Amino acid sequence: MKSFEYTITDPVGIHARPAGVLVKEIKKYASAVTVKKGDKAVNALKLMALMGMGIKQGDTVTVEIEGADEDTAAAAIEAFFKANL
Amino acid sequence: MALDYRKCAQEIADNIGGGSNVISAAHCATRLRLVIADNSKVNKQALENVDGVKGMFESNGQLQLIIGTGTVNKVYDEFLSVTGASAASKDDVKAAAASKMPWWKKILKTPGDVFVPILPAIVASGLMMGLVEAIPKFWPAFGQTDWYAFLDLVANTAFALLPVLVAISSARVFGGNIFLGAVIGLMMVHPALINAWTVGGLDTIPTWHLWFFNVQQVGYQGHVIPVILAVLLMSKLEKGLHKIVPEMIDLFVTPLVTVLVTSFVTFTIIGPIFSILENYVLEGAKWLASFSIGAVVMGAIYPWTVVMGLHHMYNVIEAGMIAQTGLNTWMPIASAANFAQFGACLAVALKVKNQKTKSVAFPSSLSASLGITEPAIFGINFRFMKPFLCGMAGGAVGSLFGALFGLGAPVYGVTGIPAIPAVNNVPLYLVELAISAGVAFALVWMLWKEEQPQAAAAPAAPAIEVPTVSVIRCAAGQVLQPVKGNVIARDQIPDDTFASGVLGDGVGIQPSDDKVVAPFDGTISSVAESQHAVGIESNGMEMLIHVGVDTVNMHGDGFTCLVKEGDQVKLGQPLIIFDRAKIKAAGYSDTVAVLLTNSDDLEGVDCGAK
Repeated sequence: MKSFEYTITDPVGIHARPAGVLVKEIKKYASAVTVKKGDKAVNALKLMALMGMGIKQGDTVTVEIEGADEDTAAAAIEAFFKANL
Repeated sequence: MALDYRKCAQEIADNIGGGSNVISAAHCATRLRLVIADNSKVNKQALENVDGVKGMFESNGQLQLIIGTGTVNKVYDEFLSVTGASAASKDDVKAAAASKMPWWKKILKTPGDVFVPILPAIVASGLMMGLVEAIPKFWPAFGQTDWYAFLDLVANTAFALLPVLVAISSARVFGGNIFLGAVIGLMMVHPALINAWTVGGLDTIPTWHLWFFNVQQVGYQGHVIPVILAVLLMSKLEKGLHKIVPEMIDLFVTPLVTVLVTSFVTFTIIGPIFSILENYVLEGAKWLASFSIGAVVMGAIYPWTVVMGLHHMYNVIEAGMIAQTGLNTWMPIASAANFAQFGACLAVALKVKNQKTKSVAFPSSLSASLGITEPAIFGINFRFMKPFLCGMAGGAVGSLFGALFGLGAPVYGVTGIPAIPAVNNVPLYLVELAISAGVAFALVWMLWKEEQPQAAAAPAAPAIEVPTVSVIRCAAGQVLQPVKGNVIARDQIPDDTFASGVLGDGVGIQPSDDKVVAPFDGTISSVAESQHAVGIESNGMEMLIHVGVDTVNMHGDGFTCLVKEGDQVKLGQPLIIFDRAKIKAAGYSDTVAVLLTNSDDLEGVDCGAK
């Protein structure tokens, strides 16, 4: 399992559009991706669940990637967070 | 543009939890005043945003909506019709329940309806009258004092002029003018008429000859039923006349004709029928009192004659008995019957949980023990009926005892405790009272149960408009249009993310309304912190309804989400109320995105209004 922490810089946080883009990205990989904030954790493929976490600018989230392609996926997803969120 | 009263009223109703949540509605010069059953159903923010509502505050348990002079009454009328259509106020529910009663129940209920509002007057007077009349029986000198005379006057006012109170209350019950009702009541005890209590001693009764009617000039003191009937007639007549008499002359023609016709019919038909009835009752009572079994029957039916107001004539029977044999054997029957009502009423007083009933029942029972049973009968026993019947049983048993042991008194006009000094055998008389009250008390205690206040009729569904247009269909189900407006293709939504389908397939809606409703029965899966978007799931469909484009930047201003995560919602249930003007003012598109976020995983997804 791979994981990284990231502090959101996008002004609206992980809301509909960013969340949609994120889900689209994560779908490219076979690994299961979990996004954690505090004691809440959700499957990052679930758009509604992701939005429901109410992640805002300045919040720090932990992203866990687990699966066959977790190495490539972790690198790509972390890069995606930095670029888009 | 003039305010759309109906729309305003409808929106108010929608935001207070529907008509079923309204206990009462009233208005003053500027405000709509509502008493709400469940305040948690009131959406204050949405209410303030209703077009036409200028402000809102809560005071004295009322929700007050400032609407404005000249418009509040119109909104109020629409509000009544809007809420009345789907659900009625509690009083209306009660009235509706009453209208379903069988006719005989309605008839039995009427005296109670008439008497309940005047209870304070007759309870006070009954108790005082009982006490004032009891004192001289134990302390005869008191009966000669000015104090006695004065207190007697005070105490018996309500009873001496009872028809006036009954008439006014009846007019209210039947919807007539209460002042016209008062006139009818006053006329029936007019001082120019011979008092009904004293008429028995007269040899000849003065009579009017009106056409072929011979009307005895006797008042209706102590009467109840003829007064209620007279005012019922008056109210029907008055209401009928208001409808047919031209408005210009309505003010003088209607009251004039109403009073004249009612009076004439009362004195020529209602009155004589009752006096014939009274004579039969009197003869029957005299006969019944003459043997033991008869006394049992009389003890049982005695309270019915009180209900009919016939008991005032029994002085004639008593006086006759004393003249013939020197012993009034009627008194033990009346005492048993009255004391049984006391016992029944006392049992209710001790058993009942409703504080209001309790507070009426105690003084009423006390008054009944002193021989004045009207408060107990009309205020408690007859209203609940079962205690009344138990009282009848007690009266019958007590009367039998009295008759078997030859109880009696050389005086007349008293019953219950005040009669103790006069009776021929005090210990046996006390036993009779104890039996009567005891039987009634025990029966009530065992048989009578306090009626639980009826749960308001099943709360009518709040006025939900169920959407009918399907906007997305797939194997898992269909999505009905959640906002009124023009449905556009997903790629026409003025936002790249939505248009590109990255959030799933769906449609856009250019709203013509400000309310998002559930597009299917489901569970709320997420609510955006800024209130402008809501997720809803059902049967594997994950749906996002997002109001406006970039509206997250409004941080909730102009949006009210009515549900929270985890709520079960029904098709058509309001989810979000939004302010289109505010969205426009903030420079955003108000297009609502309706998207199946997991459309990739669903089969046969087909978008577009159908």
